[in-house]
Amino acid sequence: MAETRVQNIVGRTNSDRIILALTILAALVLLIPIMWVVGLSFKLNNDLKIDPNSVFRLPYTLKNYIDVISSSSVFRWLLNSLIVSIGSTICILILSSLAGYGFARLNFPYKNIIFIIVLFGLAVPEQAVIVARHQIFSFLKLHNSYPGLILPGLSASFGVFLMTQYFKAIPKEIDEAAMLDNASRFRIFWKVLLPLTIPAQATLGIFTFLGAFNDYWWPLISATKKEMYTITTGIASMQMNFAQTEGLGFLMAQAVFAGLPTLLVYLFFQKYIVTAVSGSAVR
Amino acid sequence: MTKFIKGLVLAAVSAATLAAAVPAYAQTEITVQRFFGTCDADFGTNTDVSKSAGECGIITSQINKFNADNPDIKVTVNSVEWPGYDQLTAQMASGEPPDLVTMHESVISDYQSKGQLEPIDDVLKAAGIDPAAFTAAGRDGVTKDGKIYALPIDSHAILWHINLNLFKQADLINADGTPKLPTSVDELIAEAKQFKEKTGKPFLVQATANEKAMFTRAMYIYLNQQKSDYFADPTKINLTTPEAKKVVQMMKDIYDQDLTTKDQDYPAMVAGFANGDGGVEVNGTWVIGDLDTLSKQEGNPLSGGYTVYPLPQLFGGEPSYYSDGHSWAMPKKDRSPEQLAAIGKFLKFMADDDYDWSRTGHIPGIQAVLDSAEFKALPHRDTILSIASIAKALPSAVQRQFAIQDILGEEVASAVTGQKDIDAALADAQSRINDLLANL
Repeated sequence: MAETRVQNIVGRTNSDRIILALTILAALVLLIPIMWVVGLSFKLNNDLKIDPNSVFRLPYTLKNYIDVISSSSVFRWLLNSLIVSIGSTICILILSSLAGYGFARLNFPYKNIIFIIVLFGLAVPEQAVIVARHQIFSFLKLHNSYPGLILPGLSASFGVFLMTQYFKAIPKEIDEAAMLDNASRFRIFWKVLLPLTIPAQATLGIFTFLGAFNDYWWPLISATKKEMYTITTGIASMQMNFAQTEGLGFLMAQAVFAGLPTLLVYLFFQKYIVTAVSGSAVR
Repeated sequence: MTKFIKGLVLAAVSAATLAAAVPAYAQTEITVQRFFGTCDADFGTNTDVSKSAGECGIITSQINKFNADNPDIKVTVNSVEWPGYDQLTAQMASGEPPDLVTMHESVISDYQSKGQLEPIDDVLKAAGIDPAAFTAAGRDGVTKDGKIYALPIDSHAILWHINLNLFKQADLINADGTPKLPTSVDELIAEAKQFKEKTGKPFLVQATANEKAMFTRAMYIYLNQQKSDYFADPTKINLTTPEAKKVVQMMKDIYDQDLTTKDQDYPAMVAGFANGDGGVEVNGTWVIGDLDTLSKQEGNPLSGGYTVYPLPQLFGGEPSYYSDGHSWAMPKKDRSPEQLAAIGKFLKFMADDDYDWSRTGHIPGIQAVLDSAEFKALPHRDTILSIASIAKALPSAVQRQFAIQDILGEEVASAVTGQKDIDAALADAQSRINDLLANL
């Protein structure tokens, strides 16, 4: 085994070695801030106030984590974020799959025009519609509610586009074979085609989950009651004026807690994330 | 027996009816929204305000105490990211603003001019608070069109926080132990050079990166010292003046001659000064408590050697200063008489307890507290007390003061760090600010 590893390294070309070295360097650059946050979370606030570099010295403490568990609202905000993220993900997967199937396989009037209108959504930034959306949600009394946080994310042009392209890439012969067996449209969709789209579903699901979990702006102006904050707005609300100078260790312990779900998603679904980033989810 | 059962049923029904008729013990609920962060781990349940410290600790404990003292009122706290105005604007747009909100006095005009704040004269009167009890700066800050729009709780300004240990090393101490403070720009540069020569460290510890407020506030102070009427017309700023150029030139000279720390953001500045990185930290009233506590501990660069003064009078003339203030404002919304009474009670509590708030380092918003021996006995208040009588805010008709602060801070920083010519930076600041004010 060790011999194989040596051979692997020896057998590489110089360009491979350079790429490997750059990859390690890039990984370190990305890891250092995370390690910094974790390190700070194990230090007393007062020590950090005097010298943030004390993170490299003893003593370390679990006090910040104990404080988070015993007195912080972070669990409530984490729950809110999970409800919103999971809710958005499930809804978007359902809607995008159905819409994608419809655009890829069905014929209906003005299909192409409707598809283009959907694609226009990719070109409209959130900032352009935020005021109108806020007004609509005010009128509907949906602010400070889970639907108020989930619904805006459901107009997912990217999801519809991705699933349409994926369904289009599946040979129509599969549908025809199922039709010969008397399968209904929905049965073909549900039993035959949907299982084939799992890589795309995973990609879309991960992006949707991470996007909803990390969203800041809409929760900031829609969820204005403390009990409805998501983790991003909640942690921001805990900072003092001229942030970060007091309670830094406590703040970082909360950030570690807040980052755990995202980390878990990455750990369990990294295969699909790589696929998604490399673009191979869209055949 | 039947008669007995009938009687029993009748008694039970009567008792139930009576119980239903007696009103349940009802709490009046009000929501207060504030910045200053959260500190539940340390002060989440503390009701002894005297044992709290720092802005967050004190305000949390004050509200806890109010809730404990007033079981008929429930104050729900909504803490928001500083300064929280985006959120407040969104809440107002959706018709769900809080009952009370912490607001900088410099921001009141923005909301008041759009009719989004209630005048609170009647609430104050009913609660027994006389606006005459406010400090002059506080009263000016919350009065718009002859009406009171908020309860002022402090005035705050930026200051020179001084490491006396390093000043001693630099021979910058008077015979009475006080620091030698410059009285002109030339003296400032000379002192800063002497300091650097003797200690090997920069004179000023400043946040020059990702920080806009400090440059702007210093700018206002030095412009006020020169009697520059940069906001003669509240809808237009005039920055293309010799006075403004002098101030930025001084800041740039300090920067170019390495007499200040560079490329530090706010947290780095705070930690750096506590670590003895330089002689003077340019920061606000709000860090006095922390730095004083640090100086009373052993084994750090500030041990036994901290004091604080207003920014020195470098441009001659009469003493002049700039300050802003924190206040409690009441957004416009429908409220019951009970809620209005509860708000009045809350404001009265905050006004009466303004001494505790002043322990943060801020100058009180209530004159009686400012005059009290208790306040004057707090550490270092003697050296900064003059601010209370000389500090002025921007004219109250000037809108978007936070946005103006950001623009001016950006442009001054770009001039100081050499990214822009001073004249160009001031002209750009003026044009951007006037454009903003012309398109409200």
